[in-house]
Amino acid sequence: MNVLDIRGLTKKFGEFVAVDNMSLTVREGEIFGFLGANGAGKSTTINMVSSLLRPSSGEIRILDRDITKQSRFAKLNLGIVPQDLAIYEDMTAYENVSFFAGLYGLRGTQLKERTEEALEFVGLSDKAKSLPKNFSGGMKRRLNIACAIAHKPKLIIMDEPTVGIDPQSRNYILTSVRNLNESGCTIIYTSHYMEEVEEICSRIAIVDHGKIIAEGTKEQLKSTITDVKDIRIEVKSAQPAAAGVLKAIPGVRTVLQEENVIRIHSDAAVDNLNRILKQLMDDGMEIRSVEEKEPNLETVFLTLTGRNLRD
Amino acid sequence: MWKDIWFLVIRTLRATFRKRSTMILYFGLPIAGILASLLLYGSQGATELRVGVVNGDDGQTIAADTVQFVQGLDHVKVVNVTQQELQDQLAASDLDSGLIIESGYSESVRSGSPDHIAIQSVKGAQVTAYMKSMLYGYIDNVAAMGRISAGNDAKFQQLYDRYRSADFKVTSESVNDTSTTKEMSYQSIGFLLMFMMTSAVSLSELILKNRENRTYFRVLSSPINARTYVMANILMNLIVMLAQIVIVLFFMRVVFRIDPGMPVAQMFGILLLFSLVSVSISLVIVAFSKSTAMAGALSNLIVTPTCLLSGCFFPISIMPDAIRRVSDFLPQNWVLQSIEKLQSGEGFAGVWFNLSILFAFAVVFFLIATYKFGRNNDTRNFV
Ligand SMILES: Nc1ncnc2c1ncn2[C@@H]1O[C@H](COP(=O)(O)OP(=O)(O)O)[C@@H](O)[C@H]1O
Ligand SMILES: [Mg+2]
Repeated sequence: MNVLDIRGLTKKFGEFVAVDNMSLTVREGEIFGFLGANGAGKSTTINMVSSLLRPSSGEIRILDRDITKQSRFAKLNLGIVPQDLAIYEDMTAYENVSFFAGLYGLRGTQLKERTEEALEFVGLSDKAKSLPKNFSGGMKRRLNIACAIAHKPKLIIMDEPTVGIDPQSRNYILTSVRNLNESGCTIIYTSHYMEEVEEICSRIAIVDHGKIIAEGTKEQLKSTITDVKDIRIEVKSAQPAAAGVLKAIPGVRTVLQEENVIRIHSDAAVDNLNRILKQLMDDGMEIRSVEEKEPNLETVFLTLTGRNLRD
Repeated sequence: MWKDIWFLVIRTLRATFRKRSTMILYFGLPIAGILASLLLYGSQGATELRVGVVNGDDGQTIAADTVQFVQGLDHVKVVNVTQQELQDQLAASDLDSGLIIESGYSESVRSGSPDHIAIQSVKGAQVTAYMKSMLYGYIDNVAAMGRISAGNDAKFQQLYDRYRSADFKVTSESVNDTSTTKEMSYQSIGFLLMFMMTSAVSLSELILKNRENRTYFRVLSSPINARTYVMANILMNLIVMLAQIVIVLFFMRVVFRIDPGMPVAQMFGILLLFSLVSVSISLVIVAFSKSTAMAGALSNLIVTPTCLLSGCFFPISIMPDAIRRVSDFLPQNWVLQSIEKLQSGEGFAGVWFNLSILFAFAVVFFLIATYKFGRNNDTRNFV
């Protein structure tokens, strides 16, 4: 069964097209990765799925029912972890979860049990009576997640749930996502960190400028770029002009420079490593290390868009 | 839907009133308003009425007792003067009023038809009204004794002695000063109106605050829709104001024992109507604000000045005509006018017009808020 079906979805803000004729299917039991740079249109898509924004055109179905025609059904089966924290600072962690779960009609002992369960799940049971204003960023994110899962939705959408938090909380969240999935939830996981997406997602869609530019398992995605090699060169005191010169070398497709690290995507079929290194040395740069990396999602993204995911 | 609304109301109230400081803000301040009114009018009542007495009926017990009675009245200070001194000092405002007892006064009272007594003042009726009514009550009583005893000296003396020993104090105490308690209760209501308005605005502001902290959108992604959400906010607002009204009336009537000079139930009804006006105004403020900061600024611009102009802080009668005309457009003034009318003894029928105006205010503001909410860009984008 398809948990989420998006057909020809478009959202315009005035002239600007934030989501452009997008179609997408998420099947039951998946952890679906929604990968894209900032501003790609991920949150806008999610806001339309959660009925917060009205699509300019297109159709959205949750569990095979149209969300505008059966909005209550759609909302009851959906759990949203918003990108921007949506918790009440003046309510305790327990009250926050209990409040949001109550919006879905839970009351009494059931509400109490589900609230405790959700807090337990994100590891905040011992903080149940504390106010979130004393929480760390990671704890707030976890509370944000607890608020979305207490009513046991079929589909949980997490919009960048790991933005700006410590590695420990991040690992905790990634583990929770897997556990949730094992307990039967379908999950859409939105991020612009490809390591995360690569680690937990069974299927991935890459979004750029409101369009899905690639979709599939990570193996499928990587196999589309076997013709590209990913070279990483670390130098001492890189020259700002290095990139332009390197692009002129045959076979080189893209050059990215981050401080003293130069990343080059080049045609796998062309042997040009010597020329590249010579060029750098001629320009007075001292080479510290050279590495040819396995293609990963970032390589895929870079190849498809010519841009780095983090820009 | 009502279950959802109720759920939202309870949870929001619980979170809002968790802090003691909020409790004080919403309920302590209106009570402080009553205290302030007590002080304001308590101290004003203590300013004495200076009465010059010209006693031309020397040596007569009734005349002497009359002077003593006036002296015994609250907030009255008696000085003995001559006729000439009285005129001079009244003119110079050293005295507020004069009591002139002519020779033959005691005899006339005793015979049952009081005469040879006059009250003078330059300030007009208001100042002397209190003393006059007290004094005439006293004279009437003594004159009645004179009529009953019908020339029988012993009998009159008996009645008069009993009256002097017993009723004297009771009279001057029981009549005390209802006009002051009326003013106190009027003033307390004036303050209450302002506190109702400020609390209404800050509770409506929760809509903006929750938009800023994003919880509003999170709520809307649940089965709760925007209309349910706003209705819950309005209901919560009305509940808080209802509590404010009940608490203030309770403290006024039961704790401080201030007699408002009108049925408390009528006061309650008018205030309840005003709570509708108050919510609708707060919704207008919120509808026209993009942020809580802006709503706060708007509310400062609107609430306090209109309360000032409509007589919430001091009686409107001391303000110039132009301002009084402005106050016709302010709902608080219509509340206060109704209360004044009811205090002065007009029946509830006499304030129907005022109440209709208040209701109209509520309706108009609600319509404006609804229209503006509908036109706001962000709510149009958000289903
Ligand atoms: N309410 C809005 N009005 C105008 N433009 C918007 C609005 N919301 C988002 N956008 C624009 O739409 C694009 C996509 O935004 P968003 O969906 O938040 O991206 P992402 O979540 O992938 O980072 C951005 O360029 C953003 O500026
Ligand atoms: Mg986003």
